[in-house]
Amino acid sequence: MKQKKRIPLLFSIILVFCILGAVVFSVSRKISREMSDAAVQNLSENLNMIKSTIESVWEIEAEFQILLAQDIAGMEDPEAYIRSYQKNETMVKLALIRTGETEGISSTGEAFSEDGLVFFSSGKRTDGLEISSSYLNYMGSWAYCIKCPVTKDGTDIGMLYVEYTYDFLDRSLPDGFYNKQAMLYLMDTETERFVLKPKGMGARNAGHLNLEDFYRANDIHEEALRAEIEDCVQNRQNIMFGHDIQNKSSLNFIWMVNDGTICLVGYVPTEAIQQEGETVNYNIFIVVLIMLVAFLFCCMLYYFSERRQKALMREREEERERHSAQLTEALHAAQLASSAKTMFLSNMSHDIRTPMNAVIGFTSLLAKDAEDPDKVREYTKKIMASGQHLLGLINDILEVSKIESGKVVLNEDTFSINDLISSIDAMIRPMASAKAQEFHVEIADPEHEYLLGDETRISQILINLLSNAVKYTQEGGEIWLRMAGQKRSDQFEHIRIEVEDNGYGMTPEYLKTIFDVFTRAENSTTNKVQGTGLGMAITKNLVDLMGGTIEVFSEVDRGSLFRVDLPLRISTCQTAKPDETEAPAAQEEGSLKGLHFLAAEDNEINAEILSTILSLEGADCVVAENGRLVLERFTESREGEFDAILMDVQMPVMNGYDATRAIRALDRRDAREIPIFAMTANAFVEDEKEALGAGMNIHLTKPINVDLLKKAVSRYVHRKS
Amino acid sequence: MTGKVKRLTAAVLAGSMICMAAACGSGTSNQNLVTQEENSERNVNLFSPMEKTAPDAENMARSAADTTILMAEEALGVSVHYITYTAENHQDKTYDDVALDRARNNMDDLYLLNPDTIRSLGDEGLLLDLSDLKCAKNLRDVVITANTIDGKLVAIPQEVVAYGLFVNKDMFDEYGLALPETPEDFLECCRVFKENGIETPVGANRWWLETFVFAQAYADLYNGGNTEAEIAALNSGERRYSDYMRPGFEFLQELIDCGYIDAKKAGVSEAIEGEGADFLAQKTPIVMAYWGAANSDTAYGDPDFNMVVIGFPSSRGQMPVIPMTGYAIGVNAEHAEDAKDVLEVILSDEALQTYAEINRVISPSRNVETECIPALKPLHDRIEENVYVLGANADMNMEQWGNTCLIVRQLLDGATVDECMAEFDRLQDESLP
Repeated sequence: MKQKKRIPLLFSIILVFCILGAVVFSVSRKISREMSDAAVQNLSENLNMIKSTIESVWEIEAEFQILLAQDIAGMEDPEAYIRSYQKNETMVKLALIRTGETEGISSTGEAFSEDGLVFFSSGKRTDGLEISSSYLNYMGSWAYCIKCPVTKDGTDIGMLYVEYTYDFLDRSLPDGFYNKQAMLYLMDTETERFVLKPKGMGARNAGHLNLEDFYRANDIHEEALRAEIEDCVQNRQNIMFGHDIQNKSSLNFIWMVNDGTICLVGYVPTEAIQQEGETVNYNIFIVVLIMLVAFLFCCMLYYFSERRQKALMREREEERERHSAQLTEALHAAQLASSAKTMFLSNMSHDIRTPMNAVIGFTSLLAKDAEDPDKVREYTKKIMASGQHLLGLINDILEVSKIESGKVVLNEDTFSINDLISSIDAMIRPMASAKAQEFHVEIADPEHEYLLGDETRISQILINLLSNAVKYTQEGGEIWLRMAGQKRSDQFEHIRIEVEDNGYGMTPEYLKTIFDVFTRAENSTTNKVQGTGLGMAITKNLVDLMGGTIEVFSEVDRGSLFRVDLPLRISTCQTAKPDETEAPAAQEEGSLKGLHFLAAEDNEINAEILSTILSLEGADCVVAENGRLVLERFTESREGEFDAILMDVQMPVMNGYDATRAIRALDRRDAREIPIFAMTANAFVEDEKEALGAGMNIHLTKPINVDLLKKAVSRYVHRKS
Repeated sequence: MTGKVKRLTAAVLAGSMICMAAACGSGTSNQNLVTQEENSERNVNLFSPMEKTAPDAENMARSAADTTILMAEEALGVSVHYITYTAENHQDKTYDDVALDRARNNMDDLYLLNPDTIRSLGDEGLLLDLSDLKCAKNLRDVVITANTIDGKLVAIPQEVVAYGLFVNKDMFDEYGLALPETPEDFLECCRVFKENGIETPVGANRWWLETFVFAQAYADLYNGGNTEAEIAALNSGERRYSDYMRPGFEFLQELIDCGYIDAKKAGVSEAIEGEGADFLAQKTPIVMAYWGAANSDTAYGDPDFNMVVIGFPSSRGQMPVIPMTGYAIGVNAEHAEDAKDVLEVILSDEALQTYAEINRVISPSRNVETECIPALKPLHDRIEENVYVLGANADMNMEQWGNTCLIVRQLLDGATVDECMAEFDRLQDESLP
């Protein structure tokens, strides 16, 4: 729309300047025409002035000659006077022919007649006296002759001839014509020969001989023009015409003097006449140039403004498009997230409800068949299995949450590859054997047995892959675990782990999402397989965390191959580390028997379970319903009465953290020493951190795992001797 | 961007202000609107066949002369005015006629004269002695000899004008002809050309046929080692010019009789204008002209064929003919001193060097050397060997260049060789003391 508005604007600017240009052009043309007219008029006036000057000289010469003729008429011996005459610059020769004779005498001594050089055929006159055509006189100078009758007593007694040179005329002509840029000749009209080039009339290449020579020297070859000139010369008319002379625009002229006895021939460069015109033209040119510059300046401003506008619009458009794309992407991501969440919840619902159904169902059956010990044992076994599955599910979810939130920190330490493989073998081989599968372990001897890495997480990766292989391989199938090390530098060794099976395999579509959460290969066969669908996601995240790569190759009904490459730092210590777990293991033998616990638990059922479990293990406990009561009970207790405090976190009145801090703050010796175990359903890392920060010794999650409790006790509780 | 626009706008506005300030500026406060300069110009009138030319004129010879005149005008502050004359046809007065008239009537200060005119005016005592000019000290002996009359150096040239035969070497080669050395060789070449359809083998005009005569007449006189004695014998009448001239005239007569020269056409033809077109069109293989014509585009400077300039045929081989033109000052010249100053400049070594470089001619100054174009090398080599004849010699009491020219014209007009020789005898008798 803006573009459409700008076009008329630009058009208007151009139009205005076009009109302005046209006006300047027309004014310039008009000035030029007027200047040309003025130039013609100016030159005409100057030529007329020269013409008048020559004619005046001739008239004076004629008048003087008449007086001289009268004097001679009165002389007794006119011939003697003629012979004795000494030439001057004006009259270079006198001659007298007596009436009735054809030959007379002259001042130069020789005989004189009209038949010689002197011709009066043109009939031209000046002041009533006949004037001859031009001729080269005895002085080698172009001359003319005026004849005057010598009359005595009313009778013509003879004719007085006086010869004048054109050189004398030169003195009466201007010294320089148009600042010596013009060229001027006097031409005898009859013979068309040049008889005088006044001094100071400029320089030229050639053409000083006659009119034809003038044409040739000045490249005047146009037939029509020359015909017109000839016509004017024949008719004794003035002519002025424009013609370039030596590449300069010039006004050429043939200007008749004394009705065409002689004529002025030459040219004047136009610039010599129009000196002020050149200035005017220059100024017009400057004005036009300034206008043009202004126009260009406007155009430039317009162009830059337009370009800037366009750039801004383009930037805005790009930004809008970028925002739109981001929004679309965000929407898509949100939709994906929503879809994933929906799917996650759906899967969660399904995966939680399934074992929960078993727990509730068997619990109901347990109530009915409580009197039958065999059934009770069978039901509790199944309830336990379902509970374990439910717990595994919850742990995996927590694991994924921890990894994705970046809260997993690798605990790198020196470990033995061989030991790792041995423990994995021990764990997987029974599972494979249960399904009649053959489990092959192929280890290429690593160059370095001891490497630095998080052994637990590497084990987790291997267990995930191998347990999947067992799960997704039919009974009687085969599973391979291969491991090879390749040293890449002095500090790193790349470990390649391959887990291969000849099981059900996966479709290419599934392979694309295998590392996403809650994805499981689904077909009629695998539906029977139990699993959280989080294992591969956890595996992939752990491998990434270690800076490694994981690839998977699979074909349906042919099996799968997982290839994991891990860069692991080579341990500087290539000997077996002492087993730190041995000591606690030894202590574990003591179990919980005889220990006296103070427990904080607001939930009555949980409190009962805890009491029962501890009771079954030979220990007893005092349960308080909230943190404050625990604090009070501990404060009231005698020193050393309790071996440890089992602290729930989320409780009314006072939570577990505050209670712990309060206990630790008590001014009694055992307040700082008594082991306080967090025993809570808050299972996240930050929960653990907060618990440790509040002064607790260890963070145990619900449901209560007696083995873990035993380990903690063996580590932190100092038995009374 | 905004800053640039602001700066640009400021610059435009500043420019506009300057323009307006310049336009509004006032002129002089004097009430008298004209300035009057004193006319202190020194003038020298030069009679010359050439018009004063613009500095960018194309004609090389004129430009060279004008260049030196310009040097004088600038150095001396004088203004040299050219008075010119050129005959329109053969019925007109010749340049020499007019030069004589003008010099005899003291019309001009400086004259550019041909050798016969120098001789005539020198004999009449109308030319100023230039011996005391500084530039005269640098002149070659041949120049001084040719221009000294009664012990006075009356003229000095700007170039040593050497005449030679301009031949179309391609045409000679086409017919297997060697360049002629002797008159017999020359006649044989003409015969071959004629037989091969070349209507007029020798292009001629009414001015320069005398060069053939001089070459044959004085080849021995100037190159035989007895020059002074022979000239003395001629001046005393012991020996006759006609005896020297006869072989050359008979040679010309044979050329005319055999149709190798068109006498009628030559008799009315001006130099180069008459025969030049046919020579350049390769219709005529031989013409005669002066050195400078080989360098001038308006003459034979740009032929479409291989042109060579050689000497005229003589018993001593190819013979250059050297007449002397020269600048002279009228003894009664109105501006004689200024004219002498002008000559000092235009005949100085510096000016002659410039002149020689532009026209590529032999300089009259022994201090000036220039290279010639290849076409002129045969002629140049002969001159460098001091093998040449003079077309004019002031030591001879009888004027040579002009008289011989006029007598050759009589031959062209039909006079016999004997009649021509009789004319020489008459002129010699008149010149005897």
